[in-house]
Amino acid sequence: MSAIKLTLNGVAIADDVVPRLSLVDFLRERRNLTGTHLGCEHGVCGACTVLVDGEPARSCLILAVACDRHDIRTIEGFADDSVMAALRDSFHRLHGLQCGFCTPAMLITARDLIRRGKAGSEAEIRAGLAGNICRCTGYTNIVAAIAATARSLAGGNVA
Amino acid sequence: MSVTHGASHHGVGASLPRREDQRHLQGRGEFVSDIKLSGTMEVAFVRSPHAHARIRSITAPAEARGRVFTAADLPRIKPIRVVTQATGAKSPAWPPLATDKARYVGEAIAACIAPTRGEAEDLANAVAVDYEVLTAVVDAPRDMRGSPALVHDHWGDNLFVERVVEGGDIDAAARAAEITVTREYRMNRQSGAPLEGRAVLAYRDHRLDEVVVYASTQTPHTVRVAIAEFLDIQERRIRVVAPDVGGGFGPKARLYPEEIILAALALQLDHPVRWVEDRSEHLTTSAHTRDHHYTVTAYADRQGKLLGIDTDIIVDAGAYGLWPQGPYQEANMAARTLPGPYTLANYRARTYTVATNKAPLGPYRGVGRPGATFAAERTIDEIARAVGRDPVEVRALNMIPPEQMPFTSVTGMRYDTGDYARCLRLCAELLDMPEVRARQAHGEMDGRLIGIGFASFTEQTAHGAAEFASRGAAIIPGFESCTARILTDGSMVLMVGIQSHGQGLETTLSQIAAEELGIDPERVSVRHGDTESTAFGFGTFASRSMVMSGGAVARASRMLREKLLKIGAHLLQCDPAEARCADGLVLGPRGSVSIAEIAKVAHLRMDGLPPGTDPLLDATATYEPGISTGVFSYATHGAVVAVDPETGFIELLDFAVAEDCGTMVNPMLVEAQIRGGVVQGIGTAFYEEIPYDEQGQPLAVTFADYLMPGAAELPAIKIGHLHTPATATEYGMKGMGEGGAVAPPAAIANAVRDALAPLGAEVNETPITPQRVMAAIRAARGD
Repeated sequence: MSAIKLTLNGVAIADDVVPRLSLVDFLRERRNLTGTHLGCEHGVCGACTVLVDGEPARSCLILAVACDRHDIRTIEGFADDSVMAALRDSFHRLHGLQCGFCTPAMLITARDLIRRGKAGSEAEIRAGLAGNICRCTGYTNIVAAIAATARSLAGGNVA
Repeated sequence: MSVTHGASHHGVGASLPRREDQRHLQGRGEFVSDIKLSGTMEVAFVRSPHAHARIRSITAPAEARGRVFTAADLPRIKPIRVVTQATGAKSPAWPPLATDKARYVGEAIAACIAPTRGEAEDLANAVAVDYEVLTAVVDAPRDMRGSPALVHDHWGDNLFVERVVEGGDIDAAARAAEITVTREYRMNRQSGAPLEGRAVLAYRDHRLDEVVVYASTQTPHTVRVAIAEFLDIQERRIRVVAPDVGGGFGPKARLYPEEIILAALALQLDHPVRWVEDRSEHLTTSAHTRDHHYTVTAYADRQGKLLGIDTDIIVDAGAYGLWPQGPYQEANMAARTLPGPYTLANYRARTYTVATNKAPLGPYRGVGRPGATFAAERTIDEIARAVGRDPVEVRALNMIPPEQMPFTSVTGMRYDTGDYARCLRLCAELLDMPEVRARQAHGEMDGRLIGIGFASFTEQTAHGAAEFASRGAAIIPGFESCTARILTDGSMVLMVGIQSHGQGLETTLSQIAAEELGIDPERVSVRHGDTESTAFGFGTFASRSMVMSGGAVARASRMLREKLLKIGAHLLQCDPAEARCADGLVLGPRGSVSIAEIAKVAHLRMDGLPPGTDPLLDATATYEPGISTGVFSYATHGAVVAVDPETGFIELLDFAVAEDCGTMVNPMLVEAQIRGGVVQGIGTAFYEEIPYDEQGQPLAVTFADYLMPGAAELPAIKIGHLHTPATATEYGMKGMGEGGAVAPPAAIANAVRDALAPLGAEVNETPITPQRVMAAIRAARGD
């Protein structure tokens, strides 16, 4: 067992983990944060995307012990985030989800694209989503929802 | 011919945003692997590393006593066996845990339990199995007869079933032909690959004396039937729950050994057990799909008028048949679908469903249709080339005209309504065909070759008793059910036997109730997926849910409407015939009363009921469409590609769908289903394949080797609609869930063929990879 201390969704926590425990299993099984999903467990599908120190990362490829003294944010940690609120609204209005399994990670990636100014065109959004597989929607409405959010934020509707 | 109902803004025809979205957007969906029960032990399986091997012995570490379970340790489990009345069909027994032989890589041999999945896998790795490796059967056309290696020893060959489907006089067509085209086609084996794999959580509920099985399945009610049968316990002692399901697409519409094994473990042990499929397990053990071989000879006259089609269809079905329908429907559907939207009069299909040492084949969006459409529509293009006409014109020449509807096809399919040629022309317009032809003629600066291709098809949907009975099916999914209940405050619950996993039925079924009762969908809950709270139903597959379950909701809602009007009229002191439902009210000539007030009377204040009227607002209805052979949606798909003849790389420049699915309950959701299906079809066309080597080893077992379409590879997908209502369903609805995935491989292959026409090359196999394109170009050059 290794002792780790980290910030999880804004709260400082401490835990003991076995060395081989992945971050996603730590989140899901130990912290009951089940909004982070497992689609492949080998870093391709992107369903386990979380923020590590503010950057999107595959939580299936990171060991929990490696998160000692780092800042982790999951889909459950965006209650006060205006960009995420706008994205959720757009995904709902424009039907950007079907089964919902890829959705939390898709939102985290989408928020990152908008914050980095990488959601300026359809082509740019599509390139930015290359690491997140959606098997249901064919992506059209996801791309439209992100574009609509980026436009509304650029228009100053959300701080 | 569009239909408008007296719909409110949220009834039939409204693009209502979905009521299931919020939980997923918050990360609060509840998939099987999200459910926590204290004391749960994780399950990992010992699985065969060999395609074909006799099992001599299984040895678990001594310290693992009570934590490793072979077939001998779970004596309650009976072999899974599919019952079929199909003539000459063989149906093997399938022990959920292998006993004598393993017949595909990944077949389960023992279940291991531990507090964490990692420890359970460690234990599985410590179990020693002594195998006698046997020759694997891997080549369906070669090995179906005369193979010394047999998947099932006592069969004598490797054929599940062979069958001839024919009509008219194919020999006369051959004699009359001015043009004969022969081609071989191959749609390779792939996975359905929902983003959530399968998962099962099972525990014993001692209070209710039942075993509760949470499963990621499209068909909870029939899984319950199967568990009762194969564990030989009374069905009342089993509850199956499909909570949120992260995509299904067909592979989750079948029973799997793990569902039986986990239920058996839960009955035998004193703690919950959970198994969550990993991606490699999914790609090796969840139903594979497609894997069709076609040899087609088509006869036509000099105008391109089709005179006859003669085809062999070989389906590589893997080692076992998945319950309940077995491996038989794939070839059957392919053979009967292949004549498509054409007035073809002479036809013969010889079909062979072959057992091999591969994972069992199961349904995937479109089932037998994508392969059949690929073979038929590629052939139409070759006929057009042979007679020197545009493929669009040759299609139009052969299509069934609307005045001949309903039309019974040469294979006995009854096409109900539609204008196929108008749909074809709409698709060509969506792609601006003259513009594409001009660009093609002009040539590209970068040397790439432009091509445009189309594929047309009909899609049997919401088929019921007559269709499944004709297949010899033991289970006939001919109806759906709904219990509609209005509660004391006038809010409503629809309890439906269907299951929804992305289709949006929690929204669209509430729209049906709104249409019938004038109730706000925000006051309606839709409950599905739980055998405890819903009447029996079959689940979501075969493009049936909106027609069948929507029909059941309509009928149950009307039963409640009648009672609301009766009670409401009594309260309003008018005749029920003068009353109507709208906007949450019952309105009479001189006033109105709310559904909530009526509901209060029906439950809490029965002194207000009309004399002789029973309390409660509770109705159960079943629904079977007026035609049980199915209602037929149809479409033409079109693709524009740019092919690099130096690398074989293909860019999909444009894609369009023109379709007709009758009345749309929620057009926004319909279009999203089409686009999602199209992208899966694009995956079949370009990327997705699970090849097996000569030893029967699967060669795509992770998402690193199994490629699926991503956002970056895709164009926006154009959609155009025609609206011809069905005559035999509620509101004129037709099913449409699968159609999107049916035609993209054919349309894209035709576009690639069009692009490569100057080189004389064609690709008749999916996925159309750069390697296959280059091989075709080299073959055309004579290299």
